[in-house]
Amino acid sequence: MAIVNLKDKTIQIKIVYYGPGRSGKTTNLEFIHNKLQQNRNQHISKLVSIDTKGDRTLFFDFFPVSLGKINGFDLKLKLYTTPGQVKYEATRRLVLKGVDGLVFVADSLSSRQDANLESFENLKSNLLYHKQSLSDVKLIFQWNKRDIDENIIPLSTVEDMEKLLNSELKVQSFPASATSGMNVLKTVNYISKETVKSVIEKTILNKQKMST
Amino acid sequence: MNTVIREDTVIKVEKILQDFIEESGATYALITDMGGNPLFTAGEEDFDVDTLAALSAANYATTKEIANLIKEDNFSLLFHRGNNENVHFAKITQDILMIVLFKPFLSLGLLRLKINSLQQKIVSIIGS
Repeated sequence: MAIVNLKDKTIQIKIVYYGPGRSGKTTNLEFIHNKLQQNRNQHISKLVSIDTKGDRTLFFDFFPVSLGKINGFDLKLKLYTTPGQVKYEATRRLVLKGVDGLVFVADSLSSRQDANLESFENLKSNLLYHKQSLSDVKLIFQWNKRDIDENIIPLSTVEDMEKLLNSELKVQSFPASATSGMNVLKTVNYISKETVKSVIEKTILNKQKMST
Repeated sequence: MNTVIREDTVIKVEKILQDFIEESGATYALITDMGGNPLFTAGEEDFDVDTLAALSAANYATTKEIANLIKEDNFSLLFHRGNNENVHFAKITQDILMIVLFKPFLSLGLLRLKINSLQQKIVSIIGS
């Protein structure tokens, strides 16, 4: 649920990275955070990670980032990841509260296709818990770990993953590698742009239309 | 569903929070939604407000889940005591949370009374 503050002229948008355990959600956020720190002069907030000693996400990773102005409004994006492991169902559900945009980070390893499907079904049921469905939020897929050498570890093809998860929705997807950074920024740019566009259409433009 | 907060609403609620800070001696007050978005603030801060809102909403939601697990509706007090700063969390409506930072020498009981009396005022402005 985006928040538009007409006094401070700010729009706050929540984007959540979802997917099975070890698919690379935290690595995506770490890469984005590092890049922003390197490339920008402005202050970048700390990346907060609530994880276990074994480095697995226990609750979420989070950092806010300012995207500049649109229609005179300051855009603030809140990036979150969810814990991927099945046992963290309760905390995963909490992170989805008020989500505006979703990146589903799917694992390209052949052996993880059932986990991808299970996590995607879990996403739908957790959205339902918050009285939302996939049509209420912007969603894109990221086929992660495309950099892995197929001769060492078998990978599913992008076509097979599209068929498994995206055959009905037909939303935007990106093959990516969160460790090398391939298409990581493209993914976040795309979901940010689409989510912002949708929020602005539903709020500011709608309001302007109503007042004319 | 998105939320648009009108300018006069922000001015009214932040005035209530500012008055509360002056009367109670609290350091900082933040109202956030349960999704972790800051809505209204008052007082001086030297930390990242977005991060405080995100962590507070998560903290509150986690505590509520623990309450559900042990068949409690919710816990009536959610409060952390620090050496230099305390933090108190209070549910204002189903979707709104108020976080107050205050120094350890202030009375928690008195502060809670003041927060309770604020609740009605804020709900009358923002709706339930």
